[in-house]
Amino acid sequence: MRNPTQPGMTRRDFLVRSAATAAGTFMSIGLPSLLESGNAGAAIGAGMPAFTPSIWFTVTPDGKTTMHILKAEMGQHIGTALAQVIAEELEVKWDDVRLETPLESVENFAIYGLAYTVNSGSVTTEFDRLSRAGAAGRMALIEAGAKVLGAKQSDCHAENSRVIDKASGRSIGYGEILQKVNIDRKFAYPDDFKAVKVKPFGSYKIIGKSIPSMDIPPKTNGQAKYGIDVFLPNMVYGALAIPRTRYGSKVLSVDDSEARKVPGFVKAVIVDNTLGKCTGWVIALAETFPAAMKAAKALKMEVDPGPYGKLSLSDIFEEFSAQTENAEASAAWVLEGDVDKGLAQADKVLEMEYSSDMVCHATMEPLNATVQFVDGAWHVHVGTQSTSFARMTLNAYLAKVLNQKPEDIKVYVHEYLLGGGFGGKQDYDEILAAAYCAKEVGRPVKFIQTRESTFATSFPRTPTYHKLKAGLKNGELLAMNHDICCGWMGPRFFVGKKYGTDWLQLDSWDAKKQDIDQWSIGGSDHWYYVKNHRVRAWDSDRTTWAVQASALRTVSNSYNMFVVESFMDEVAHALKRDPLEFRLSMLNGKGGNRGIPNTGYAPGTPSDYYMDRLWISLPWPNENSWPLYESATVGGALRLANCLKVAAKNAGWGTRKLPPNTGMGIAVSSAEERQSPTWVAGIAEVTVDPKTGIFKINRITIAMDPGTVINPLNAKAQIQGAALWGASQILSERLTYKNGAIEQSNFHEYKPIRLADVPQIDVHLIQSGHHPSGVGEPSSTVVAPAVANAIYNAIGVRVRHMPITPEAILDGLKSKA
Amino acid sequence: MPNLTINGQSYFADAPPDTPLLWVIREDLRLTGTKYGCGIGVCGSCTVHINGQAVRSCAITVGEVEGAHITTIEGLDPANAHPVQQAWIEHQVPQCGYCQSGQIMQAAALLSANPSPSDKQIVEGMNGNLCRCATYPRIVGAVKRAAELLKGGASHA
Repeated sequence: MRNPTQPGMTRRDFLVRSAATAAGTFMSIGLPSLLESGNAGAAIGAGMPAFTPSIWFTVTPDGKTTMHILKAEMGQHIGTALAQVIAEELEVKWDDVRLETPLESVENFAIYGLAYTVNSGSVTTEFDRLSRAGAAGRMALIEAGAKVLGAKQSDCHAENSRVIDKASGRSIGYGEILQKVNIDRKFAYPDDFKAVKVKPFGSYKIIGKSIPSMDIPPKTNGQAKYGIDVFLPNMVYGALAIPRTRYGSKVLSVDDSEARKVPGFVKAVIVDNTLGKCTGWVIALAETFPAAMKAAKALKMEVDPGPYGKLSLSDIFEEFSAQTENAEASAAWVLEGDVDKGLAQADKVLEMEYSSDMVCHATMEPLNATVQFVDGAWHVHVGTQSTSFARMTLNAYLAKVLNQKPEDIKVYVHEYLLGGGFGGKQDYDEILAAAYCAKEVGRPVKFIQTRESTFATSFPRTPTYHKLKAGLKNGELLAMNHDICCGWMGPRFFVGKKYGTDWLQLDSWDAKKQDIDQWSIGGSDHWYYVKNHRVRAWDSDRTTWAVQASALRTVSNSYNMFVVESFMDEVAHALKRDPLEFRLSMLNGKGGNRGIPNTGYAPGTPSDYYMDRLWISLPWPNENSWPLYESATVGGALRLANCLKVAAKNAGWGTRKLPPNTGMGIAVSSAEERQSPTWVAGIAEVTVDPKTGIFKINRITIAMDPGTVINPLNAKAQIQGAALWGASQILSERLTYKNGAIEQSNFHEYKPIRLADVPQIDVHLIQSGHHPSGVGEPSSTVVAPAVANAIYNAIGVRVRHMPITPEAILDGLKSKA
Repeated sequence: MPNLTINGQSYFADAPPDTPLLWVIREDLRLTGTKYGCGIGVCGSCTVHINGQAVRSCAITVGEVEGAHITTIEGLDPANAHPVQQAWIEHQVPQCGYCQSGQIMQAAALLSANPSPSDKQIVEGMNGNLCRCATYPRIVGAVKRAAELLKGGASHA
């Protein structure tokens, strides 16, 4: 995706200088440490020199260092992790570290770039530049400190927020240096930048330590502030009347005669559906939220259900199956060798259909937004995965609604903690609706989706349909074809043209024949060496829009890994080979699976990315991340094989005696993207009750090689949580769609995993010392297929649909008998 | 106008008696540590103590709790010194943190009724509290740790 403003040099150069900065441009996201940084800001505002050697942190004369964290805090403790990276090189004492989140505005966007937290990519994309920024700061402080001490620079080093002169034994604190000298130095990109030396793996003091996460203490005494905790003077509350359909309905009239009987009712607002957002939304505004909920229920609406009013999930699956009959309409995602020839030469062809249901994010914090128009500007208070896109989307929306030029509309987005994200807080409908209501009522509006309306307007993972063929010859997998049909979320997200703006515009996506939404197909491009390998994709545009297909934790990997890894097991069994040995034989790091060598790469040279296969590159890391770091693909499939060996050994694959009706299953994954893999293997042990079909996951073993681990205790929490997310998806999560509407309304019908179903989870972290890759999502992708494979090994039933229901297991037992 | 005793202070709730306690706590008293998750008493995010018992504040009305002693997460110990809070920090339990006030209040009530819960009793006691980040393994570990701290003579038993 292209940014409208190319920040260029501002984000690349390190402008190392003392500067008086205006206080108040930063916004707390609710951490006490952030509130304290407001004091630091006051000191700066009073004319004291501060030291901001790059945009990523500020050292103040009080000796404190404030890290400016652009990433959303949604449970991954990212602020602590990124601060650890900077502090390591800056040689700052951990107690001196503070965090804050920049306010999102046109001005700050030009400085910081895109604030967008997705793809388990924060550490991966920030590690190198933050390391170098910290190192540059340290170098400048040592230079200045040496001057103040009257020491030789070469005798000085930095430690614990101090510059120390080895020769004299004297030292000076960072704060004191700033009080005494002005620092003015520039590290220009790329030459000076390259000269900045960062520590090698193995020499870290702060990275790799399980430092307690800074956001945790306010989360145990009720002080943490989420979007839903915002209060503004004179605000009204908004509650949504459940729309007739998930998408595309139109409200013809509203009768509020019953709602007007609710004390505190203010008015009902039909939300402008410009940009195709908030379709069919009517919001009841009231002085309290309970009154708003009551009033919303009392509204009577005349509605045109629109194009999807009679569409149901069964129609969608039928359509998927029919679409894949037309090979002409497909687009190729992987083309390796000659699949048709390979299938023709095979001794045996295995052919299977797979599918997966919809699931949704169901974050514990229901979606909400508070919007105020004050002093000529729109202020949004929200916890979102992208304050930047929130601002741009609201700007585009208001331009249409108010019939003004986008550049004449000022939008500021204040970020708060997110009560869960999982990909579900990168749509902005609540913000648009709250802003529209604020315009209509002339007061600030706090719009809270009830749990019921959160489900009704959820952004689910698309349902998917897969056809797989394997050509087997001489005990090997000679050819593999994977056909995938589903709704593509990419075109719904990246629709700059439809918004009448040029942001997020991917021109080529109009020509679907050539291009594929990698977020919907990725994961099928696995790291097994298969001589003849093809993946073809079909887009169901109607599904995308009808259900509002979206990105859900690991995106397409969540279903494609289930399918690929279940099918690989089927192939292994058909070949009468051990599923572990069979996998290891194909994870040989040959061809396009060898990974990018450990030499770094330059941006804009796709040949490095593409290797010798047809990979479509991620559009944004090239532009928005530092170009010099090692590719996470280094080592290729061999690192994945190593994970598998570690998991197998620790789980006792092939050696552990299992009780009756109990089996182990294995799976590997390289989520998230082909370009940013985190190598992970998982083994599940499952017991099935053949009478009821109910299965229990006893144990999950995860082995992961994310290269370098910033905070092991936190990483393990992420990996465990993600593994249980995967368990939840195969066990019990299912969202259904009938006559254009989502059928589930609350947690009694939509059932994420609870404590009683939690198995033992063993996590083995492999630190290979390579560039870090993300740990927040990937382990979720191996659990579902490992469980499916374990069920097969337990009772001989293969279920090719996610989630796996007891009914499906009983059906399988019946057809086997 | 129901009279409520919350965290030792007396309030007159300016709300109809059929208003769920949750919304009075959150929006009127602005004690926002208690969270809205489902509104029907099935997720546990809104758990508070009423006369020492863990109760879903979304599923009880202010009219029903008049005169009762109500404790919210803010009243447990603002300095995070309650053994359950200490254990929660020691084990680094919260991820997004949204459900954790409810988890902590549930655990505190569980331990106050049963200072030495078995694994099975912990599962039974905590199963009603959803955590979408699935911090469950650490919740179990922290409940056990809090039980140890309580036995060690911590003052908040």
